[in-house]
Amino acid sequence: MTHSPDAEITLTVNGASHRLAVPATAPLLAVLRNDLHLNGSKYGCGLGQCGACTVLIDGIAARACTIPAGSVAGRSIVTLEGLSKDDRLDPVQEAFVAEQAAQCGYCLNGMIMALKALTLREVAPDEEMIREALRYNLCRCGTHLEILAAARRACGLLPGGEPAPRPAR
Amino acid sequence: MTQEREPVSTDGGLVVERISAGGFMETFLVIHADGHATGYNGHVDLGTGIRTALAQIVAEELDVSADSVAMVLGDTARTPDQGPTIASETIQVAAVPLRQAAATARRVILARAAAVLDVSPEELQIDDGLVYAPASNRRLGFGELLAGETIRVALDENAPVKAPESYRLVGTSQPRVDIPDKATGRAIYIHDVRVPGMLHGRVVRPPYAGRDSGDFIGKSLIAVDRGSVAALPGFVDLVVIGDFVGVICEREEQAAEAARRLRIEWTVPPPLPDMDDLAETLKNHPGEPRTLSESGDVDAALEGAANRLTRRYVWPYQMHGSIGPSCAVADFSDGFLTLWSGTQNPHMLRGNLATLLQLRPESIDIRRHEAAGCYGRNCADDVSADAALLSRAVARPVRVQLTREQEHAWEPKGAAQLIEIDGGLGEDGDLAAYDFQTRYPSNRGPNLALLLTGAIPPDPQPSDMGDRTAIPPYHYEAERIRVHDMAPIVRASWMRGVSAMPNCFAHESYIDELATEAGADPVDFRLKHLKDPRAAELVRATAERGNWVERSGPRRTSDGRGDGETLYGQGFAYAVYVHGPFPGTAAAHAAWIAEVAVDRRTGEVALERVVVGHDAGMMINPAGVQHQIHGNVVQSASRVLKEEVTFQNSTVESRDWGSYPIANFPEVPDVDVLMLPRPAEPPLGVGESASVPSAAAIANAIFDATGVRFRELPFTPERIKAGLDAAAGVGSGPSRLSEASPEGAKPSAPDRPKLWRRLAAPLAAGLAATIGTAAVGLTLRAPIAPVAPSNPSVYSAETLERGRILAALGDCAVCHTAPGSATNAGGRAIETPFGTVFSTNITPDPETGIGGWSYPAFARAMREGVSRDGRHLYPAFPYTSFAKATEADLQALYAHLMGQPPVRAETPVTALAFPFNIRALMAGWNTLFHKAQPFAPDPARGAAWNRGAYLVEGLGHCSACHSPRNALGAEQRGAAHLAGGLVDGWQAPALGRASDAPVPWTEDALYAYLRTGRSAEHGAAAGPMAPVVASLAELSDEDIRAMAVYLSADGETAPRTDGRALAEKLVAQSEADIRPARSLGARLYDGACSVCHRGEAQGVLFNAGTPLALTTAIHAERPDNLIQVILTGVEPAQSGVHSAMPAFSETFTDRQITELVRYLRSQFARDRPAWRDVETTVASVRHSKTRPAQSSGQ
Repeated sequence: MTHSPDAEITLTVNGASHRLAVPATAPLLAVLRNDLHLNGSKYGCGLGQCGACTVLIDGIAARACTIPAGSVAGRSIVTLEGLSKDDRLDPVQEAFVAEQAAQCGYCLNGMIMALKALTLREVAPDEEMIREALRYNLCRCGTHLEILAAARRACGLLPGGEPAPRPAR
Repeated sequence: MTQEREPVSTDGGLVVERISAGGFMETFLVIHADGHATGYNGHVDLGTGIRTALAQIVAEELDVSADSVAMVLGDTARTPDQGPTIASETIQVAAVPLRQAAATARRVILARAAAVLDVSPEELQIDDGLVYAPASNRRLGFGELLAGETIRVALDENAPVKAPESYRLVGTSQPRVDIPDKATGRAIYIHDVRVPGMLHGRVVRPPYAGRDSGDFIGKSLIAVDRGSVAALPGFVDLVVIGDFVGVICEREEQAAEAARRLRIEWTVPPPLPDMDDLAETLKNHPGEPRTLSESGDVDAALEGAANRLTRRYVWPYQMHGSIGPSCAVADFSDGFLTLWSGTQNPHMLRGNLATLLQLRPESIDIRRHEAAGCYGRNCADDVSADAALLSRAVARPVRVQLTREQEHAWEPKGAAQLIEIDGGLGEDGDLAAYDFQTRYPSNRGPNLALLLTGAIPPDPQPSDMGDRTAIPPYHYEAERIRVHDMAPIVRASWMRGVSAMPNCFAHESYIDELATEAGADPVDFRLKHLKDPRAAELVRATAERGNWVERSGPRRTSDGRGDGETLYGQGFAYAVYVHGPFPGTAAAHAAWIAEVAVDRRTGEVALERVVVGHDAGMMINPAGVQHQIHGNVVQSASRVLKEEVTFQNSTVESRDWGSYPIANFPEVPDVDVLMLPRPAEPPLGVGESASVPSAAAIANAIFDATGVRFRELPFTPERIKAGLDAAAGVGSGPSRLSEASPEGAKPSAPDRPKLWRRLAAPLAAGLAATIGTAAVGLTLRAPIAPVAPSNPSVYSAETLERGRILAALGDCAVCHTAPGSATNAGGRAIETPFGTVFSTNITPDPETGIGGWSYPAFARAMREGVSRDGRHLYPAFPYTSFAKATEADLQALYAHLMGQPPVRAETPVTALAFPFNIRALMAGWNTLFHKAQPFAPDPARGAAWNRGAYLVEGLGHCSACHSPRNALGAEQRGAAHLAGGLVDGWQAPALGRASDAPVPWTEDALYAYLRTGRSAEHGAAAGPMAPVVASLAELSDEDIRAMAVYLSADGETAPRTDGRALAEKLVAQSEADIRPARSLGARLYDGACSVCHRGEAQGVLFNAGTPLALTTAIHAERPDNLIQVILTGVEPAQSGVHSAMPAFSETFTDRQITELVRYLRSQFARDRPAWRDVETTVASVRHSKTRPAQSSGQ
C-alpha cells in the first residue's frame, strides 16, 4: 500500500487540534513525542507489550507505539499531560503521588493511563479488576506493591481513601 | 524540588570543595545567597530515591528544610568523580564527603553568626535555616550571613557532624522529590531530551548479538549497500566504522525504517558452546581459581564427614531488563562533545569516549539525566558512544534510541553461575566441611563502540566480581572458598545483587539440605551455626514475624485447602550482601520467609507471601528503604521464578517480553516487611540486599511443599513438573516439553508449501504437447493499430467517476504499481508457479503505457487477454474475470485510465522458462480454460445477489486469488470455485461453504470485513487482502452489501447461527485453561500476543486484536498465513478501523515462531489437527522473495 508522505493529518490531543505534516504511517507515539513534545507516553518496546506508551483514545487505553498516527485522526487522544487541569492533578495521579508509587518512574505513564481507563469504564473496580487492568503493564523496578496501593486509593478501595495532600515541592 | 543552581552564583555564596586525587578542584556543596543549598554527588539516582535521601543528609547537617536543598548528581562538569553508581554504596560511601561538606559549611555559618551576635559558636542553634542564640530574639538567615561574599572553604573531614540522637530529618520518611513530576509527564528523562537541530539515529548491530570477545568482534562486516537507504525520505547519512553501523535521518520513524531496510552483509559468527547445558559449559570454561579463604584441613574433613553432601547449583543468564531501551543525545562540534546520557558511570564513560574519539576528557561534558531503571550495567553507555559517533559524522546533534530487541540482545547480561559445594556433617551433627567453588564468567562490559570500531582489542577480560557474598554466614569447622574468575562467554556484567544472589542461593540451599540431613528445623539449625549475633537477631525476629512453623523435614502439606493437588510450603533464607572487592563491605542484612503453593499437576509455583526481615542500620529515609525492599522482593522473585536468557544461532534469542517474561501484577505476592530499628548503627546500603536471599528461600519453600529439591533456576512450570515427575517415578522424563496434541487430534497430511512448484516441473514436459494440441489451427492474434492518445475531456464526469470506482474495484493499482514507483506505471514482480511476471505500465503514456491503445484494443485485452500488439497476456492478468464486465463499465474504466497522468516507464520484460515463454501457447490455454462471455444475471436471484455476483466474479476478480488453480495455472471451477488458493506466499482462504472460519461467515460479517477491513468474529484483512479492502473503500455501501449478499449466499444458504454467541463461546473455551504458561509457545503468546488478542481486551484496549479462537488463519489447513502475519504484522486496511499489528520478524527466531505457531494451533483450534512441518514452513515463508527485504543485522 502506498502512503503519501506529505499529506497532513489532524490529531486532537488533550482537547487541542493539531494539523501535522507527518507520515500517516508514523507511530502515534513518535508523533506525540517528537512533533507535539508530549513526553508523558514513553517508548518501551514498540510491540505493544509493556504499556509504557499508553494513551487514551476515545477514553479507552491504547498502545501508541503500534497505532499509526493517520488511523486516529479525528479521535480524542488524551496523554498523561492532559489528565491534570490547571495544575490540578487527576485523582489517579494524586493517588500515585500519595502512595509514592514510582521508583524510576518510566512505566508510570502506562500505569496511570491504564488505571484512568479502568476508572472511566468501571464504577467500582475491585482488586482483581485492578490487577487485570494492569496485567500487561510491565514494571521492572518492582514497584507493584506501591502501584497497587495507588490503584486501590484511586478506585476508592482504601478505608478513608481520600487522596492525601501532595508533599511539599 | 528547587531548581539546580550553578555552583557559584554572581551574588556570592559559600562553596565547600576539595582537590581530588587527580588534582582537580571538586565542589561538594554550595550555599547560595538566598540561603538555599546545592549538594554535588558523583553518583546518580537510578530510580532508587537517593536524590531525596542525599538531600535529607545535607538538610540534616545544616538544619534546614529538606526542600531547600537541591542535588546535582553524576554530572562530569560539576560533580566529583565518585566512581560508578553500583553496589548500593551511595549512602554508605558516596554520601560521606557530602555530609562532611555540610558539616564544614555549618561550622563556617556558625562562626560568622557568632561574630555578628557576639557569642561563642557553641551557644548557637539553627532552626529551619535561621541561626540564633537562645538568649536573643535575633535570627540570621544563611544568605544574610554570607553578605554577598563568595567564600571558598576546603572540605574538612574532621568537621563535627551531628549526633544521630539529635536527628530530626534523617530517619524520618520523606516523600520522594521526583514523583510529582514523573506522575504528570514533566520529568525530563534522557529519552525526552531534545536540542535544537537534533537528528535521529538508529544503529544496526552485527549478528553476534550479546558477544564481546573473540577475533570476529569488529571484523565481521562484509558489505553495506548505501543505496538501499539513500533515497528514503529524511535520510541524512550512513556511518560505518568497522562493525559499527548507524543511520541518521530527520525523523525518528524514518531512522527506524532506514535501519530496517539497510541491506548489509555480515560473516556468520562462530558458534557458542552449549548454552542449554550451562553447568557443563561453565565447568569447561577456562578460569583463574582464586582462593578467598581457607581454614582447617578441608580435604581431611571431607573424607571424615559422617554425612557428605556434594551439590551443584546453577544460575542462568538474566536480563537487567530496563523498561526503557537506552537512549542518548550527543552534540559533537568544534572538537567538543556535549553528551546527554542516562549512564550509571559518567566519569568512566567520559574516559571511554575520550579513547573512542581521541579527545581529552576535559573536551567532553556529560550531562546525566534520569533513565529507566538499569539495575546494573545496561546499554546506557553503549548508546552514548553510538550517539557521539553519529553526531561527529554529521556535525549536528543526534539522538540515538535503541530498540527493545537491541537492548535485550546486547545488554551485558547478569552472568550465569555454577556453584559446586562439597561438604558435610560431622558425627556430632556439626558443620564439618565446606568446600565452595563458584564460577563467574563476566567482565565489566567494555563499551560496545570501542569494540565494534576496533578502538580496543576484543580480548577476554575476566572480572573479579564473582566473590560477592562468597563467604557463608555459618561456621564450618573446615572451609575453603574459591572463585573462578572467568572471561565472559557472552557479554555479561554486573547486575543487581551481583554474584551474591547466586552464591547465596547455594549457601542457603545447602544449609537447608544439611538441616534436613540432620533432621533439624531449618531456622534452629541456622541459629545454631550463624557467626554474627546481629544476623541471628534478625533471623529470630523474622521467624517470629513470619509465623515460622518448626519442622524436622519437608511437610508436603496440602494444608486442607483445595483438591489436595496443591501443596504448600514455607522456606527460609538469610544473607548479608557484601559488595566491593574482596573482602568487601557489608550492606544491609536481609532474611526471607517465602510461602509458596505448588500445583503438582502443572508444576506451577505461586509465590503467595513473603516476609522480609531487614537490618539496614540507621535508615536515612525509612519509606525509601521499605520501597527498596519491596522492589527487591518483586524483582528477585521474578528472576527466580521466571527469568532465563536463551540462546540460538550463536546469539541471544530473548529479544522481547514474550521471550523474556517478567513479573506481572496478578503474580505479585503479599509482602510484609520488618525493618529492625538500629538508629545507632551506621547506615547500610539497601539497594540490593533484600534480593539476595530470594532464590534459596523459594527453593526451600518448594522443598517444604514437595520434598523435592530444585537446584537450578528458574522455577518454571516445566522444570518443576519434570522434577516432581522424576521424583515420583513417572516415566515422562524431564524437560523438552513440546505442546501436546489434544486428544484425538491427528496430524494432517504433510505440508507442501510449494505445491505448484512441485507439480509444475514434471508437468512442464508434457505441457507443450497438451496446449499445442489444443492450439492447432490457432495463430497469433493481429495487432490493433496504435491511435493518438484519446482526449479524456470527451467523457462525462459521471463516466470518469464510474471508471475511477471500477479501477478501485479491480485493484488495478495494486498489481500495476511497483513499490515506491508511480501509480499504475507497472514493473511490479508477481511470483507465479511458472516464473516471475512483471506487470505492465497502464498509464496513458503512448510509448511505454497504453496511451496508444484504442478502446477496442483495451476491451480485447480485458476480455480475451490479448495485448494491443497481438501478444497473448498471461493469466496473472485476470482477464478470465474481467471478461464478465459490461461494455459500459469497460468504457468507463478505459476513460478513467486515459485520464490519468502519463508516466514514461519501461517495465522489465517478463521472461518465463520454456515452455511458458511461448506466449502463443496461451491461445490454447484460453481454448481450454477461458470463456470470453459477459456476465449473465440469474433471474432466479434478487438484484443484490446479481449485482454482487457481477462485482465479485467480474472486475472484482476475487476468484483470481480465492480459487485454487490447476497445474496449468487455470482457476478450478465447480465446487472448487472460491475454495481457496495461494498467492504471494499467502493462503487466500476459501469463501463460502469451504471456509475454515470457526464462526460461519454471515452477510453482515462479510459486509463489515469488506467495508472496514475487519469482522469482529473473524479478524482483520492482512497481507494481500489489506490493499484490496483499502481499494474497496471507493465503492458504495450498496455495492459492498451486494458483494456480501452474493458471497454469503454462494452455494448454500449461510447457516442460521448466532455468530456473536458462538464467537463468545469459542473464545471462552479457548481461554479457560490458558494460564499458567507451561511452555515456550504459551509464554510467547502470553507476553507478546495476549495483551491485544485475549477475549478480555475487546472493548478495553483500543482496537484490540481478534481473539485467536476466531481467526481463520489459526483454523486453516496450512500455517502459512499465521506465520506471515507474525513475521510481517498487519497494516491497517482502513483508517480508523483497527490498529496495526507489529511485525515480529526481527524479534523472534524461527524456533520461537515454530513453538508459538504450534501452541496457538493447539490452544485456539483444538478441533483441528496439528500442523506438520511448521519449522520448515516458517523458514520458507521468512525467506520467501515476496516478503519485503529485511536487514540481516540485528
